[in-house]
Amino acid sequence: MLNKGFLIFSFVLAFSLLGNAQNCRLNISGQLLDLTTQEPIAYGTVFIKELKSGAVSDSLGKFTIKGVCADNYHLVISHIGCESLEMYLDLKRDTLLQFSLDHNHHHLHEVSITAEHKDPTIQESQSLSKQDLTQRSDKNLSTMLEGISGVSAIKNGSGIAKPVVHGLYGNRLAIINNSVAQSGQQWGVDHSPEIDPLSANEITVIKGVGAIEYQGNSLGSVILVAPSTIEKEPHVHGSGNYFFESNGLGNGLHVELQQYKLNWNLGWKVAATVKKSGDNRSPNYYLKNTGGEEANVALQFEKSVGKRLILDAHFTSFNAALGVLRGGHVGNLTDLETAFNREEPFYTQEEFSYSIEAPRQQVNHHMAKLHALYFIAPNQRLEFTYAAQLNQRKEFDVRRSGRSDIPALSLDQVSNFGELKYANDFGKGWELKTGLQVNHTNNENVPETNILPLIPNYVSIEYGVFGLIAKKWEKTTLELGARYDSETRNVAAISTSVPRSVVAFSEMYSNLSAMSGVKRQLTKNWKLLGNVGFANRNPEVNELYSNGLHQGVSGIEEGEINLRPEQSLKGTLSLKGKVKNKLFFEALGYYQAIEDYIFLNPSNEVRLTIRGAFPVFKYEQTNASIYGLDVSTIYQMTNHLAAKVQYSFIQGDDRSQGIPLIFMPANSLYGELTYDIENIGLGKFENIELQMNNRYVFEQTHLLTSQDFVAPPEAYNLLGAKVSAERQLGKFRLSLYLRGENILNTVYRDYLNRQRYFADDLGINVIVGINAKF
Amino acid sequence: MRLLLLSFVLVFVSCKKDDPLVPTVPTIPNEEEVITTVNYTLTATNGDVVLFSFKDVDGDGGNAPVIVNGELDTNTTYTGVVELLNETVSPADNITEEVKEEGDEHQVFYQFSNADLSTTYTDTDANGKPIGVATQLITKGTTSSTLTITLRHTPDKSATGVADGAIANAGGETDIEVTFNLDVK
Repeated sequence: MLNKGFLIFSFVLAFSLLGNAQNCRLNISGQLLDLTTQEPIAYGTVFIKELKSGAVSDSLGKFTIKGVCADNYHLVISHIGCESLEMYLDLKRDTLLQFSLDHNHHHLHEVSITAEHKDPTIQESQSLSKQDLTQRSDKNLSTMLEGISGVSAIKNGSGIAKPVVHGLYGNRLAIINNSVAQSGQQWGVDHSPEIDPLSANEITVIKGVGAIEYQGNSLGSVILVAPSTIEKEPHVHGSGNYFFESNGLGNGLHVELQQYKLNWNLGWKVAATVKKSGDNRSPNYYLKNTGGEEANVALQFEKSVGKRLILDAHFTSFNAALGVLRGGHVGNLTDLETAFNREEPFYTQEEFSYSIEAPRQQVNHHMAKLHALYFIAPNQRLEFTYAAQLNQRKEFDVRRSGRSDIPALSLDQVSNFGELKYANDFGKGWELKTGLQVNHTNNENVPETNILPLIPNYVSIEYGVFGLIAKKWEKTTLELGARYDSETRNVAAISTSVPRSVVAFSEMYSNLSAMSGVKRQLTKNWKLLGNVGFANRNPEVNELYSNGLHQGVSGIEEGEINLRPEQSLKGTLSLKGKVKNKLFFEALGYYQAIEDYIFLNPSNEVRLTIRGAFPVFKYEQTNASIYGLDVSTIYQMTNHLAAKVQYSFIQGDDRSQGIPLIFMPANSLYGELTYDIENIGLGKFENIELQMNNRYVFEQTHLLTSQDFVAPPEAYNLLGAKVSAERQLGKFRLSLYLRGENILNTVYRDYLNRQRYFADDLGINVIVGINAKF
Repeated sequence: MRLLLLSFVLVFVSCKKDDPLVPTVPTIPNEEEVITTVNYTLTATNGDVVLFSFKDVDGDGGNAPVIVNGELDTNTTYTGVVELLNETVSPADNITEEVKEEGDEHQVFYQFSNADLSTTYTDTDANGKPIGVATQLITKGTTSSTLTITLRHTPDKSATGVADGAIANAGGETDIEVTFNLDVK
């Protein structure tokens, strides 16, 4: 799925043959070659949009389009199993083009991370391309990434999800949106990242050991959300992308427009997304109040000043309203136990509805970013970034006397980030990157709730400095990096005793992190990557100052003011390679030891309140370890048929107590069979692809019965299918897809979905989508 | 350079506050929904009054709640009234009024460990279903029992047995769940 055939193209040469040909007698000719084998590619299509004509490459990969007038043209280059590619050409004379296509249809991931602007890292990473994102428009950021081995999602229903990489999530996983650490309210497992993935060009998961380059909390892995750069095209271009999904009767539309004014050296791009869905349906009943609404805008400008300076500005606004399963809202432990024992959740209704009532969340996230890139010399660059973010989160509960419209939690977080980076490509394989970062966060409760806030007001100022150095030899690349962070946090909390008063606290932390990596080309087709990193994470305010009833989990949570930072040591080792362009293989093993791992420990205490007795959970520290293995294999059986198998194993342990860690993803096995129909010619359906897939998720057995209210759900198996095709229709490049998920309508519950306590997971969903690009 | 960046940030933030390193002083909320006190008053036909009370003024943590249990006379008919108070404010808020106003969205349940004891509802909401703020209790024999009083918000009053006081199918969120010891002599 994610390793969709990629068409990496390198526009090798375009030069003049004859200087002064007749105006309308120009020829465009050239050759298509396979990037890896350098063999010619036959039956590739080169199409001129303006002329609605083109050529097909012959058995030597050669093509010629004769008798073309001098003008500006847009070429579409496509080949079976590849993402089509567009190119702008200002035709003045006879032109020879050579395209090196990466023709290997089903790649493992590495090919997709060669995009420009991406800093090379030798940490293991996997990406979703624009096409992957488009064909998953119905999903949110977290559920989009779920297909990547080693990545899962913690959910609260289907609309609210946060990504989990190698067992870590929330404050232990950095999400870098547009090169800036996403600043948001990450206090609970029911808070999803406030990012519109459709505005991104590519999303990369670095299954790494340390995020040396980025500020913010990460104990290893990073999710990079990269917006697209503006194509250097003088005409207005754009795309429209619409989808419909049967489960929840969801609709969504994403549109993009962009232009690059060559004479002004200025590019602009605007993108907008709207989505709306209603109650989802499990195989046997509707999940009441699980709809969602989203409206997002992104604006982007890029300006070159002279040959050395590039300025860009981004503004994004994310706005969502998300319903939470009505039957999952409980008042005390008795309610929770009653809910567990029901077949169907309370409040289940016969009919479908789009309405979103309490309990619900309303989330807004706005970001403004200014960025300047200055080339001191061709091999040296200086970058400055400033970003301001405003994150607003309101959560509404079922309350008495019409108070359900007053948020029960209302938090505003303003953050300001500044960064200065310097990079030098010394030559002879030496590269250096270094930078300074400062971030200020102000988190504030909006006094409208009439409820004692869970999270105190605080301000935090963080300084960071890092350096990364890499050296490439012929077969080996070595990378070393370190960073130093200091954080001061001042907190103003409300006392838990009566009469209430304001209590001030202050913390200071300073941490040193380091990582090293080595990449070794073993043979022509096989290579080995190894990384070791040491990283820290400061205790968060919820871990330090929580004190009260967490209604969603029916427990009283007590913070611990003396928590120390967590310290992680993680190592990864991966082997990837191929046999005769037929069999592709990749395996990644990892081990992570986290000292002073912060977790909620159920104490033996049961506290009596007016709502009944509640178990008390205390934030404590232990020594933990997480280890696992991600394996992916693709076997290209024929030119048309390919099979893919992916397996993820993970286990987490509390080493001090000798018990399992809770909330670790279950192991999973994924298989996929893809058949491509070779169909060439202009004005026909191209790149027709049929796919069947199957995901088997094992039962989470590495858990003690005393560690959860109810036992983890049983193993489950989900069958899916997909059909996709492309077609050139005049100026429009259409891409169509039809996708089915859980097509057998299997009843299941997932361990990482908190809604599993109350209801079955989603039933069959059929998604149909169309994307038109011009 | 670090200083330069710092001053940059400070300038931006200072538009809003005086000192960027001092958090906004939180507004202490008026916790108008909090229920601190449950009083269950049983009045015998002869005018004797027995009070059961559960009071937790400082909320979920802090000091333990204060519980007052009671003793009932046998072969007596009692009129029961539940009173819910928010005593974090002075004078105390009477939450019972809110419950009665939204009678169709609330119901009080009474569960005895001893099956010989039971209450009957003597009030109704707009739909003719019980609210359970007003009840009647008839005692017989001599016994000891626990009494659990539960207030549910948005229960399903049409579900089997709920209108007769059975909590099992009620659903909804528990706003109150307190347990008393009760002796009948």
